[in-house]
Amino acid sequence: MSARVHGSTDVIATTDDAGGIDDVVRRAQRGDVEAFESLYRTHAAAIYALCRRMTGDEGESRDLVQDVFVRAWERLTSFRGQSSLGTWLHRLGVNVVLERIRSTKRDAARLIEGDDSTFGSHSSAPAIDASIDLDAALVHLPRGARTVFVLHDIEGYSHDEIALMTGIAAGTARAQLWRARRALMRMLDP
Amino acid sequence: MTSLETHLTEDERQSFADDTMSPEQRASAEAHLAACRSCADDVARLTTLMTRIRETPAPSPTVALDDLWPTIRARIEQSKVVSLPADAPAVRRLSPRVWWFGSIGGVAAAVLIGMAVMRGRPTGPGDAVGPGTTPNAGEPSLIAVVDSAHAYEQEARILLDKLELRRAMLRPETAEALAHDLHVVDVAIAELKEAVARDPNNPALRRLLATSYRQKVDLLKRVSNAS
Repeated sequence: MSARVHGSTDVIATTDDAGGIDDVVRRAQRGDVEAFESLYRTHAAAIYALCRRMTGDEGESRDLVQDVFVRAWERLTSFRGQSSLGTWLHRLGVNVVLERIRSTKRDAARLIEGDDSTFGSHSSAPAIDASIDLDAALVHLPRGARTVFVLHDIEGYSHDEIALMTGIAAGTARAQLWRARRALMRMLDP
Repeated sequence: MTSLETHLTEDERQSFADDTMSPEQRASAEAHLAACRSCADDVARLTTLMTRIRETPAPSPTVALDDLWPTIRARIEQSKVVSLPADAPAVRRLSPRVWWFGSIGGVAAAVLIGMAVMRGRPTGPGDAVGPGTTPNAGEPSLIAVVDSAHAYEQEARILLDKLELRRAMLRPETAEALAHDLHVVDVAIAELKEAVARDPNNPALRRLLATSYRQKVDLLKRVSNAS
Protein backbone atom coordinates (compact mmCIF):
# COMPACT_ATOMS: atom_id res chain seq x y z
CA MET A 1 0.00 0.00 0.00
CA SER A 2 1.52 3.25 -1.02
CA ALA A 3 -0.92 5.87 0.21
CA ARG A 4 1.06 7.08 3.19
CA VAL A 5 4.68 6.69 3.87
CA HIS A 6 5.96 6.93 7.43
CA GLY A 7 3.57 9.59 8.55
CA SER A 8 -0.14 9.63 8.97
CA THR A 9 -0.85 13.27 8.29
CA ASP A 10 -0.03 15.83 5.68
CA VAL A 11 1.34 18.10 8.39
CA ILE A 12 4.41 15.93 8.62
CA ALA A 13 5.17 16.24 4.95
CA THR A 14 4.70 19.97 4.62
CA THR A 15 6.07 21.65 7.71
CA ASP A 16 9.71 20.78 7.35
CA ASP A 17 12.38 21.48 4.89
CA ALA A 18 13.53 17.96 4.13
CA GLY A 19 16.65 19.31 2.48
CA GLY A 20 18.13 20.77 5.64
CA ILE A 21 17.59 21.91 9.19
CA ASP A 22 15.54 25.03 9.60
CA ASP A 23 16.24 27.76 12.10
CA VAL A 24 13.70 26.63 14.69
CA VAL A 25 15.18 23.15 14.78
CA ARG A 26 18.69 24.54 15.05
CA ARG A 27 17.68 26.72 17.96
CA ALA A 28 16.04 23.77 19.67
CA GLN A 29 19.19 21.72 19.11
CA ARG A 30 21.13 24.45 20.91
CA GLY A 31 18.84 24.11 23.94
CA ASP A 32 16.19 26.72 23.17
CA VAL A 33 13.12 25.33 24.91
CA GLU A 34 10.82 27.91 23.32
CA ALA A 35 11.92 26.76 19.89
CA PHE A 36 11.29 23.18 20.91
CA GLU A 37 7.85 24.17 22.13
CA SER A 38 7.15 25.49 18.66
CA LEU A 39 8.17 22.13 17.21
CA TYR A 40 5.94 20.39 19.72
CA ARG A 41 2.94 22.45 18.70
CA THR A 42 3.59 21.67 15.04
CA HIS A 43 4.05 17.92 15.39
CA ALA A 44 2.13 16.89 18.51
CA ALA A 45 -1.10 16.07 16.69
CA ALA A 46 0.61 13.72 14.24
CA ILE A 47 2.49 11.96 17.01
CA TYR A 48 -0.69 11.68 19.04
CA ALA A 49 -2.48 10.09 16.08
CA LEU A 50 0.31 7.55 15.72
CA CYS A 51 0.25 6.68 19.42
CA ARG A 52 -3.53 6.58 19.56
CA ARG A 53 -3.80 4.15 16.70
CA MET A 54 -1.01 1.94 17.97
CA THR A 55 -2.35 1.78 21.53
CA GLY A 56 -6.07 2.32 21.05
CA ASP A 57 -6.14 4.27 24.30
CA GLU A 58 -6.32 8.04 24.65
CA GLY A 59 -4.78 8.24 28.11
CA GLU A 60 -1.87 6.02 27.19
CA SER A 61 -1.43 7.97 23.99
CA ARG A 62 -1.11 11.25 25.88
CA ASP A 63 1.51 9.68 28.12
CA LEU A 64 3.35 8.44 25.08
CA VAL A 65 3.24 11.84 23.39
CA GLN A 66 5.08 13.20 26.41
CA ASP A 67 7.62 10.40 26.27
CA VAL A 68 8.19 10.91 22.55
CA PHE A 69 8.90 14.61 22.88
CA VAL A 70 11.10 14.21 25.93
CA ARG A 71 13.06 11.60 23.98
CA ALA A 72 13.13 13.92 20.98
CA TRP A 73 14.59 16.68 23.13
CA GLU A 74 17.26 14.34 24.43
CA ARG A 75 18.21 13.16 20.96
CA LEU A 76 17.57 16.23 18.88
CA THR A 77 21.24 16.88 18.34
CA SER A 78 21.42 13.59 16.44
CA PHE A 79 18.93 14.92 13.86
CA ARG A 80 20.97 15.81 10.79
CA GLY A 81 18.23 16.88 8.44
CA GLN A 82 18.58 13.85 6.18
CA SER A 83 14.82 13.43 6.39
CA SER A 84 12.16 15.86 7.50
CA LEU A 85 11.88 16.42 11.23
CA GLY A 86 8.38 14.99 11.02
CA THR A 87 9.69 11.73 9.62
CA TRP A 88 12.43 11.63 12.24
CA LEU A 89 9.94 12.28 15.02
CA HIS A 90 7.60 9.71 13.59
CA ARG A 91 10.19 6.96 13.62
CA LEU A 92 11.17 7.98 17.14
CA GLY A 93 7.51 7.77 18.11
CA VAL A 94 7.17 4.27 16.69
CA ASN A 95 10.18 3.17 18.71
CA VAL A 96 8.84 4.70 21.91
CA VAL A 97 5.48 2.99 21.45
CA LEU A 98 7.11 -0.35 20.66
CA GLU A 99 9.29 -0.06 23.74
CA ARG A 100 6.15 0.49 25.79
CA ILE A 101 4.57 -2.57 24.24
CA ARG A 102 7.65 -4.68 24.89
CA SER A 103 7.70 -3.56 28.49
CA THR A 104 4.42 -5.39 29.04
CA LYS A 105 5.10 -9.08 29.02
CA ARG A 106 1.65 -10.13 27.96
CA ASP A 107 1.66 -7.80 24.98
CA ALA A 108 5.21 -8.72 24.09
CA ALA A 109 4.19 -12.35 23.91
CA ARG A 110 1.34 -11.45 21.65
CA LEU A 111 3.59 -9.45 19.42
CA ILE A 112 5.96 -12.34 19.00
CA GLU A 113 3.66 -15.30 18.99
CA GLY A 114 0.70 -13.90 17.18
CA ASP A 115 -2.59 -13.29 18.85
CA ASP A 116 -4.75 -14.79 21.50
CA SER A 117 -6.46 -17.99 20.64
CA THR A 118 -9.81 -16.43 19.89
CA PHE A 119 -8.59 -13.71 17.58
CA GLY A 120 -9.87 -14.25 14.10
CA SER A 121 -13.01 -16.04 15.12
CA HIS A 122 -16.30 -14.36 14.48
CA SER A 123 -17.14 -14.42 18.18
CA SER A 124 -14.05 -12.45 19.21
CA ALA A 125 -14.56 -9.65 16.76
CA PRO A 126 -17.60 -7.73 17.91
CA ALA A 127 -19.85 -6.50 15.17
CA ILE A 128 -19.58 -2.73 15.17
CA ASP A 129 -22.19 -0.36 13.93
CA ALA A 130 -21.33 0.87 10.47
CA SER A 131 -21.23 4.44 11.75
CA ILE A 132 -18.32 3.63 14.05
CA ASP A 133 -15.05 4.51 12.48
CA LEU A 134 -11.89 2.61 11.80
CA ASP A 135 -10.22 3.83 14.97
CA ALA A 136 -13.03 2.46 17.10
CA ALA A 137 -12.66 -0.90 15.39
CA LEU A 138 -8.90 -0.89 15.87
CA VAL A 139 -9.38 -0.90 19.63
CA HIS A 140 -10.82 -4.40 19.36
CA LEU A 141 -7.74 -5.85 17.71
CA PRO A 142 -5.10 -7.53 19.83
CA ARG A 143 -2.23 -5.15 20.33
CA GLY A 144 0.24 -7.09 18.21
CA ALA A 145 -2.08 -7.27 15.22
CA ARG A 146 -3.03 -3.64 15.68
CA THR A 147 0.61 -2.63 15.76
CA VAL A 148 1.42 -4.40 12.51
CA PHE A 149 -1.74 -3.13 10.85
CA VAL A 150 -1.08 0.48 11.83
CA LEU A 151 2.56 0.36 10.84
CA HIS A 152 1.84 -1.21 7.45
CA ASP A 153 -1.54 -0.03 6.28
CA ILE A 154 -1.65 3.38 7.92
CA GLU A 155 1.94 4.44 8.37
CA GLY A 156 3.32 2.80 5.25
CA TYR A 157 6.18 0.72 6.63
CA SER A 158 7.15 -2.41 4.72
CA HIS A 159 7.01 -5.88 6.25
CA ASP A 160 10.80 -5.95 6.39
CA GLU A 161 10.90 -2.63 8.23
CA ILE A 162 8.23 -3.83 10.62
CA ALA A 163 10.18 -7.01 11.23
CA LEU A 164 13.25 -4.96 12.11
CA MET A 165 11.36 -2.64 14.41
CA THR A 166 9.32 -5.25 16.23
CA GLY A 167 11.67 -8.22 16.23
CA ILE A 168 9.15 -10.55 14.62
CA ALA A 169 9.67 -12.34 11.32
CA ALA A 170 8.44 -10.61 8.18
CA GLY A 171 6.22 -13.60 7.48
CA THR A 172 4.68 -13.32 10.92
CA ALA A 173 4.07 -9.64 10.37
CA ARG A 174 2.37 -10.44 7.09
CA ALA A 175 0.13 -13.04 8.70
CA GLN A 176 -0.76 -10.64 11.52
CA LEU A 177 -1.68 -8.01 8.96
CA TRP A 178 -3.97 -10.31 7.05
CA ARG A 179 -5.73 -11.44 10.17
CA ALA A 180 -6.12 -7.86 11.34
CA ARG A 181 -7.67 -6.87 8.01
CA ARG A 182 -10.06 -9.80 8.14
CA ALA A 183 -11.12 -8.91 11.66
CA LEU A 184 -11.65 -5.29 10.68
CA MET A 185 -13.71 -6.35 7.68
CA ARG A 186 -16.01 -8.32 9.94
CA MET A 187 -16.34 -5.42 12.34
CA LEU A 188 -16.80 -2.65 9.81
CA ASP A 189 -18.76 -4.55 7.18
CA PRO A 190 -20.51 -7.39 9.02
CA MET B 1 0.45 -18.73 -10.14
CA THR B 2 -3.30 -18.49 -10.32
CA SER B 3 -5.59 -20.39 -12.60
CA LEU B 4 -9.22 -20.13 -13.46
CA GLU B 5 -9.95 -23.42 -11.66
CA THR B 6 -8.20 -22.72 -8.37
CA HIS B 7 -9.30 -19.93 -6.01
CA LEU B 8 -6.86 -17.20 -5.18
CA THR B 9 -4.78 -17.82 -2.08
CA GLU B 10 -5.02 -15.52 0.92
CA ASP B 11 -1.66 -14.07 -0.06
CA GLU B 12 -2.92 -13.32 -3.55
CA ARG B 13 -6.17 -11.76 -2.35
CA GLN B 14 -4.44 -9.54 0.17
CA SER B 15 -1.68 -8.56 -2.23
CA PHE B 16 -4.21 -7.76 -4.94
CA ALA B 17 -6.18 -5.57 -2.54
CA ASP B 18 -3.19 -3.60 -1.32
CA ASP B 19 -1.68 -3.39 -4.79
CA THR B 20 1.61 -5.09 -4.02
CA MET B 21 1.46 -7.70 -6.79
CA SER B 22 3.83 -7.69 -9.73
CA PRO B 23 2.19 -6.75 -13.06
CA GLU B 24 2.33 -10.37 -14.20
CA GLN B 25 0.77 -11.68 -11.01
CA ARG B 26 -1.87 -9.01 -11.14
CA ALA B 27 -2.84 -9.84 -14.73
CA SER B 28 -3.22 -13.49 -13.82
CA ALA B 29 -5.29 -12.63 -10.72
CA GLU B 30 -7.53 -10.31 -12.74
CA ALA B 31 -8.22 -13.11 -15.17
CA HIS B 32 -9.33 -15.34 -12.31
CA LEU B 33 -11.40 -12.63 -10.66
CA ALA B 34 -13.25 -12.03 -13.89
CA ALA B 35 -14.43 -15.64 -13.81
CA CYS B 36 -14.81 -16.29 -10.06
CA ARG B 37 -17.57 -14.48 -8.19
CA SER B 38 -16.44 -15.77 -4.80
CA CYS B 39 -12.91 -14.46 -5.06
CA ALA B 40 -14.07 -11.24 -6.70
CA ASP B 41 -16.49 -10.48 -3.86
CA ASP B 42 -13.84 -11.15 -1.25
CA VAL B 43 -11.21 -9.03 -2.97
CA ALA B 44 -13.78 -6.25 -3.41
CA ARG B 45 -14.42 -6.22 0.33
CA LEU B 46 -10.72 -6.11 1.05
CA THR B 47 -10.27 -3.31 -1.45
CA THR B 48 -13.09 -1.38 0.17
CA LEU B 49 -11.32 -1.73 3.50
CA MET B 50 -8.09 -0.44 1.97
CA THR B 51 -9.93 2.59 0.60
CA ARG B 52 -11.56 3.22 3.93
CA ILE B 53 -8.20 3.10 5.66
CA ARG B 54 -6.74 5.63 3.25
CA GLU B 55 -9.66 8.00 3.65
CA THR B 56 -9.99 7.87 7.41
CA PRO B 57 -8.65 11.06 8.99
CA ALA B 58 -6.17 10.82 11.83
CA PRO B 59 -7.78 10.63 15.29
CA SER B 60 -7.91 13.84 17.28
CA PRO B 61 -7.54 14.10 21.04
CA THR B 62 -10.60 15.01 23.08
CA VAL B 63 -8.47 17.32 25.22
CA ALA B 64 -6.04 19.80 23.68
CA LEU B 65 -2.48 18.55 23.43
CA ASP B 66 -1.28 21.99 24.51
CA ASP B 67 -2.07 20.86 28.04
CA LEU B 68 0.76 18.36 27.85
CA TRP B 69 3.44 20.93 27.18
CA PRO B 70 4.01 22.10 30.80
CA THR B 71 4.71 18.54 31.85
CA ILE B 72 7.00 17.93 28.90
CA ARG B 73 8.85 21.15 29.64
CA ALA B 74 9.20 20.20 33.28
CA ARG B 75 10.67 16.85 32.30
CA ILE B 76 13.03 18.55 29.90
CA GLU B 77 14.22 20.94 32.57
CA GLN B 78 14.65 18.04 34.95
CA SER B 79 16.73 16.19 32.40
CA LYS B 80 19.01 19.22 32.23
CA VAL B 81 19.44 19.03 35.98
CA VAL B 82 20.23 15.36 36.24
CA SER B 83 22.64 15.46 33.32
CA LEU B 84 25.01 17.72 35.26
CA PRO B 85 28.23 15.98 36.30
CA ALA B 86 28.01 15.07 39.97
CA ASP B 87 30.97 17.09 41.21
CA ALA B 88 30.69 20.17 38.96
CA PRO B 89 34.17 21.32 40.09
CA ALA B 90 34.27 24.38 37.86
CA VAL B 91 31.26 25.83 39.61
CA ARG B 92 32.52 25.04 43.07
CA ARG B 93 35.79 26.87 42.51
CA LEU B 94 34.04 30.18 41.89
CA SER B 95 33.99 32.66 44.75
CA PRO B 96 30.80 32.74 46.80
CA ARG B 97 30.08 36.30 45.79
CA VAL B 98 30.13 35.79 42.06
CA TRP B 99 29.69 32.09 41.47
CA TRP B 100 26.11 32.20 40.38
CA PHE B 101 26.10 35.44 38.49
CA GLY B 102 28.97 35.12 36.08
CA SER B 103 27.32 33.38 33.21
CA ILE B 104 23.74 32.91 34.24
CA GLY B 105 21.58 33.58 31.25
CA GLY B 106 18.30 32.04 32.20
CA VAL B 107 16.48 29.20 33.77
CA ALA B 108 18.83 26.46 32.66
CA ALA B 109 21.91 28.03 34.16
CA ALA B 110 20.14 28.87 37.37
CA VAL B 111 18.80 25.38 37.71
CA LEU B 112 22.10 23.72 36.85
CA ILE B 113 24.21 25.82 39.16
CA GLY B 114 21.65 25.52 41.91
CA MET B 115 21.78 21.77 41.65
CA ALA B 116 25.57 21.76 41.54
CA VAL B 117 25.81 23.73 44.75
CA MET B 118 23.15 21.66 46.42
CA ARG B 119 25.02 18.43 45.93
CA GLY B 120 26.60 17.28 49.14
CA ARG B 121 25.10 20.08 51.18
CA PRO B 122 22.61 19.76 53.99
CA THR B 123 19.10 19.90 52.63
CA GLY B 124 16.41 22.40 53.42
CA PRO B 125 13.50 22.16 55.84
CA GLY B 126 11.25 19.20 55.30
CA ASP B 127 13.49 18.13 52.50
CA ALA B 128 12.20 14.72 51.58
CA VAL B 129 14.18 14.24 48.40
CA GLY B 130 17.90 14.71 48.64
CA PRO B 131 19.65 16.23 45.63
CA GLY B 132 21.40 13.04 44.74
CA THR B 133 18.20 11.08 44.78
CA THR B 134 16.06 13.43 42.78
CA PRO B 135 15.57 11.27 39.71
CA ASN B 136 14.64 8.11 41.58
CA ALA B 137 12.86 9.20 44.69
CA GLY B 138 10.22 6.85 45.96
CA GLU B 139 6.56 7.57 46.32
CA PRO B 140 6.47 8.03 50.13
CA SER B 141 8.97 10.86 49.94
CA LEU B 142 7.06 12.48 47.13
CA ILE B 143 4.15 13.02 49.43
CA ALA B 144 6.52 14.70 51.83
CA VAL B 145 7.86 16.82 49.00
CA VAL B 146 4.47 18.37 48.47
CA ASP B 147 3.98 18.77 52.19
CA SER B 148 7.32 20.52 52.47
CA ALA B 149 6.41 23.24 49.97
CA HIS B 150 4.97 25.42 52.69
CA ALA B 151 8.15 25.09 54.75
CA TYR B 152 10.27 26.11 51.77
CA GLU B 153 8.13 29.14 51.12
CA GLN B 154 8.42 30.20 54.73
CA GLU B 155 12.18 29.88 54.72
CA ALA B 156 12.41 31.76 51.43
CA ARG B 157 10.39 34.61 52.89
CA ILE B 158 12.66 34.81 55.94
CA LEU B 159 15.75 34.84 53.75
CA LEU B 160 14.27 37.51 51.51
CA ASP B 161 13.51 39.68 54.52
CA LYS B 162 17.10 39.32 55.72
CA LEU B 163 18.42 40.06 52.27
CA GLU B 164 16.30 43.15 52.00
CA LEU B 165 18.05 44.53 55.05
CA ARG B 166 21.41 43.94 53.39
CA ARG B 167 20.47 45.03 49.91
CA ALA B 168 22.43 48.23 50.22
CA MET B 169 25.57 46.17 50.65
CA LEU B 170 25.12 44.45 47.32
CA ARG B 171 26.75 45.80 44.20
CA PRO B 172 24.14 47.09 41.74
CA GLU B 173 24.91 44.44 39.14
CA THR B 174 24.67 41.77 41.83
CA ALA B 175 21.30 43.02 42.98
CA GLU B 176 20.05 43.17 39.43
CA ALA B 177 21.22 39.65 38.69
CA LEU B 178 19.66 38.42 41.91
CA ALA B 179 16.32 39.97 41.02
CA HIS B 180 16.45 38.43 37.57
CA ASP B 181 17.32 34.96 38.74
CA LEU B 182 14.79 34.97 41.52
CA HIS B 183 12.20 35.94 38.95
CA VAL B 184 13.24 33.05 36.72
CA VAL B 185 13.01 30.57 39.58
CA ASP B 186 9.68 31.99 40.73
CA VAL B 187 8.25 31.66 37.23
CA ALA B 188 9.44 28.07 37.11
CA ILE B 189 7.88 27.36 40.50
CA ALA B 190 4.60 28.95 39.45
CA GLU B 191 4.48 26.90 36.26
CA LEU B 192 5.29 23.72 38.12
CA LYS B 193 2.65 24.39 40.75
CA GLU B 194 0.11 24.77 37.98
CA ALA B 195 1.31 21.60 36.33
CA VAL B 196 1.15 19.68 39.63
CA ALA B 197 -2.37 20.98 40.20
CA ARG B 198 -3.36 19.61 36.81
CA ASP B 199 -1.51 16.35 37.22
CA PRO B 200 -1.15 15.74 40.97
CA ASN B 201 -0.06 12.14 40.57
CA ASN B 202 2.91 12.90 38.37
CA PRO B 203 6.02 12.12 40.46
CA ALA B 204 8.41 13.80 38.03
CA LEU B 205 6.56 17.09 38.35
CA ARG B 206 6.53 16.93 42.12
CA ARG B 207 10.22 16.13 42.28
CA LEU B 208 11.01 19.05 40.02
CA LEU B 209 8.86 21.37 42.11
CA ALA B 210 10.72 20.33 45.24
CA THR B 211 14.02 20.85 43.45
CA SER B 212 13.00 24.33 42.36
CA TYR B 213 12.05 25.27 45.88
CA ARG B 214 15.42 24.08 47.15
CA GLN B 215 17.19 26.05 44.45
CA LYS B 216 15.44 29.24 45.43
CA VAL B 217 16.27 28.78 49.09
CA ASP B 218 19.86 27.95 48.29
CA LEU B 219 20.27 30.99 46.06
CA LEU B 220 18.99 33.20 48.83
CA LYS B 221 21.29 31.58 51.37
CA ARG B 222 24.26 32.06 49.10
CA VAL B 223 23.57 35.72 48.53
CA SER B 224 22.90 36.30 52.20
CA ASN B 225 26.20 34.72 53.15
CA ALA B 226 28.08 36.58 50.44
CA SER B 227 26.66 39.94 51.46
